[in-house]
Amino acid sequence: MLETLLYIIAYPPLWQVLIVGFLGSLLIAMIAIWFERKTAARVQRRIGPYWASPKLGGFLNIIADMIRYVLQQVIIPTSVDKTAFILAPVAALIITLLPIVFIPLSPIETFWPIPSMDYSLLVALALTTVPPLLLIVAGWASNNKFAVIGSLRESYIITAYELIAVISILSVSASTSTFNLVSIVEYQAPLKWFIVLNPVAFLAAFLAILMSTSAFPFEIPESEHEVVAGPFTEYSGILYALNMGGAYIRRFIYSILLAIVFLGGWAPYTPPLDSGPLMGIIVPSIIVIIKASIIVLAMSFLRAVYGRYRLDQALEYAWKLFLPLALLGLGWAIIVGFTI
Amino acid sequence: MKESPTSTSDVTIKELETRGIQVRKIEKEVYEVFIGPQHPGSGHMRIIVRLDGDIIAEADPDIGYVHRTMEKLSEVREWLKPIPLLERMTIIDACNITVPYVNALEKLMDKAPPPRASYLRVLLCEINRVASHLYGFGIFGVFLGHSTAYMWAFGDREVFVELAEILTGARLTHTYPIPGGVRRDMPQDFPEMARRAVKYMRRRLIEYQRIFLDNPVIVKRLEGVGVISKSLAAELGIVGPNIRGSGIKYDVRLIEPYEVYDELEFEIPVYEEGDALARTWVRVEEIKQSLNIIEQAVDWLERHKGELILSKDDYDKLPKLHKEIYEKTGRVKLLPVHASMKIPAGKAVARGEAGRGEIFYYVESDGGTVPYRVRVVTPSARNAIVFKYIVPGHKLMDLPAIYGSIDYFPPESDR
Amino acid sequence: MVEALSLDNIINSIKLNLEGLVKSISISKGYIEVVVDASHIVEAALKLKSMGYDHVKSITAIDYPKESKIRVVYHASSYINEDLAKTIIGLTADIPRDNPVIDSLSQVWRSVEFQEREVYEFFGVIFREHPDLRPLLVIPELAEKKVLRKDFIVKEESIYEGIPHKY
Repeated sequence: MLETLLYIIAYPPLWQVLIVGFLGSLLIAMIAIWFERKTAARVQRRIGPYWASPKLGGFLNIIADMIRYVLQQVIIPTSVDKTAFILAPVAALIITLLPIVFIPLSPIETFWPIPSMDYSLLVALALTTVPPLLLIVAGWASNNKFAVIGSLRESYIITAYELIAVISILSVSASTSTFNLVSIVEYQAPLKWFIVLNPVAFLAAFLAILMSTSAFPFEIPESEHEVVAGPFTEYSGILYALNMGGAYIRRFIYSILLAIVFLGGWAPYTPPLDSGPLMGIIVPSIIVIIKASIIVLAMSFLRAVYGRYRLDQALEYAWKLFLPLALLGLGWAIIVGFTI
Repeated sequence: MKESPTSTSDVTIKELETRGIQVRKIEKEVYEVFIGPQHPGSGHMRIIVRLDGDIIAEADPDIGYVHRTMEKLSEVREWLKPIPLLERMTIIDACNITVPYVNALEKLMDKAPPPRASYLRVLLCEINRVASHLYGFGIFGVFLGHSTAYMWAFGDREVFVELAEILTGARLTHTYPIPGGVRRDMPQDFPEMARRAVKYMRRRLIEYQRIFLDNPVIVKRLEGVGVISKSLAAELGIVGPNIRGSGIKYDVRLIEPYEVYDELEFEIPVYEEGDALARTWVRVEEIKQSLNIIEQAVDWLERHKGELILSKDDYDKLPKLHKEIYEKTGRVKLLPVHASMKIPAGKAVARGEAGRGEIFYYVESDGGTVPYRVRVVTPSARNAIVFKYIVPGHKLMDLPAIYGSIDYFPPESDR
Repeated sequence: MVEALSLDNIINSIKLNLEGLVKSISISKGYIEVVVDASHIVEAALKLKSMGYDHVKSITAIDYPKESKIRVVYHASSYINEDLAKTIIGLTADIPRDNPVIDSLSQVWRSVEFQEREVYEFFGVIFREHPDLRPLLVIPELAEKKVLRKDFIVKEESIYEGIPHKY
């Protein structure tokens, strides 16, 4: 009975897409938001979220916020391009979640959502670069000056971060000579993680993700004090929540990719090939999620420490510092590939 | 389906005009952005910014959203009543705002406050100055996206607000100085609290420096931004920490010492760079100097216990009951005659150094029970010109940095 | 004593520099009042500026309906020169109340620009050749009422005003 239930849960579309992809990222996004507010509060000598559930450290506050967003009236201004205005955040969220389909959470073929993982790294990486484009669409459809300026900034940031992210994450392939994420994880097993072998590439990838998901100190497109909420200025209610939560979900998906590529995936545990759903997929995915969460929470902590860079300064850092860093990581990866 | 672009825009213009919206054409290739009055980064004002790309081509500060006709209202109120009125323009800096007005009245009446009253005024002025700088500092922090500086500054400001409350009975609008003295004496345990607050603030300033002033991101945002050269600063007539950040050693406390500032030891911090970072540093150094002054004032007040806080002739006029209240509680209860007092005809100018800079009063009396004319020029009113002449040429993201660094406060500017 | 001496010095140098322009000069409480003819105000301001008075603290307009004049006082002082900074010069000119026109000093001192707009909106004083003369703080409709003139009476509302009698 339990075995059957486990097999049903472990059915790839259900487990990987719905539970890990959708619910997991939602939960991690909530935890990240809660952690961000709580740590920032600790640093700033406040209490932070508290009253909704004092015993849980105010965690239910985030859920209350979500309920509020869902129940809030969605105002669609008359001057917007309605189709694009509504579709952009929805499509962005769906495409944000898509890479999870191409990320293996277990070495066992039965539990993969797709039949072959041969080019999974390429596909997953390619899909992560699409949602920012929809942010630009959202800003443009809003027909609001602040939104347009915000999406313009977003477009500058995209051109800057994308190359860094792609080069630094793909540099792993230079070491392992494969795009297969399972092989990459197996290469790293048990403790030969790329964060140790190639810390430069990891750093570049980390910074690129900070830029991509507009975390501090790169919170530029949504910079409140010049452009209100950037591309989301005209959004309200659930559509705003989709936009705002989208960044956290994207951060989580990226972090899963980083956990697989740099943090050894489900290592140190390697499920035997004949293991059942519990040990075969659920346990390894939880290991990956924990690793990913650590990356997400580390990113959240930066809010309490840094202000935001100016747009041109962020771009200057991206092109003059992070891109050479990513290229250095690539070179390093080639050396790693030949020596280890 | 296909319309030529001109006809569409004409149609929309007509449509908008029928809906009662004013329409006007703006220059080609200039993007006009209205920052404020309902905008997280504007405060109670509007800055009309014309952007050429990301560069601000023109900025027009549209102020006056919180104008409260203080000058006119002062003309219909008896001499004492403008004190609580005027301090409402900067409730966070109330004593600094009202002391020059009281000075102007004292000049007209040829009356001088006793030294103890002067020291109490200076004490409250400096407490206000620290609180005001911390307020500006916090707003500045959040303008740059640094929420920690914001929370810290506002939290630590509370210490000084509480000090002011213990001293005067009110957190913000103290209405403390009155012509010829102050309203309340210092409580017995005040010196100890003040010393503790000073010690605490000194320690915190080091932490501020670590997380905010030396933060690479913040330094990068502020260095070389909004540079006001020495000559331009003088020409624009800006005031306060802004002008001292441009290398001009001008502080009313130094130039024309009012109250007992000539008896106290303090320095006027001056920075030569003239950029946003220099202005921020001036504020921080000024907090340190204010803390020194608070200590000195408290020491003096402890050594001179029991002196009058009201001028001798005013005190002698008090009836026995009021004298008893004064002896017992240290509170000055004024006679109703004060409210309708007449001030000899004449005109007087007084200036003082408020937290944000020099405040100027012109008071004219025709011998009646109300002022004939009260002219007040606040520091922010004189700093508003920075938006027009310094902001253009910077990037849009520099606007909050400049706004925060000049510590512009709309209610004070609009009066 | 030093203070008084330097004040005399300043008055003398003003007399010397503004020769033929000054109508009267006197020490007032907190400032030195220099009265000039309204038609000479730009000349006088230029001379003061060349003496080192580099900024204006306040433009104070005072309405005297009985004498049918508006007095405009430019309270100027110095930043660069620390000796001059100790004094404030009140450059004063009287203009007729029914035709309040005076030359703008914004070409001389840039710091007066916003304050001239303020005097314009509250007193209706028109500053000739001001680069951008429009109300600063209030809306144009209110500015037309010239609220700071003495004949604009502030109607004080009683706290019971507007409350029906039965309460």
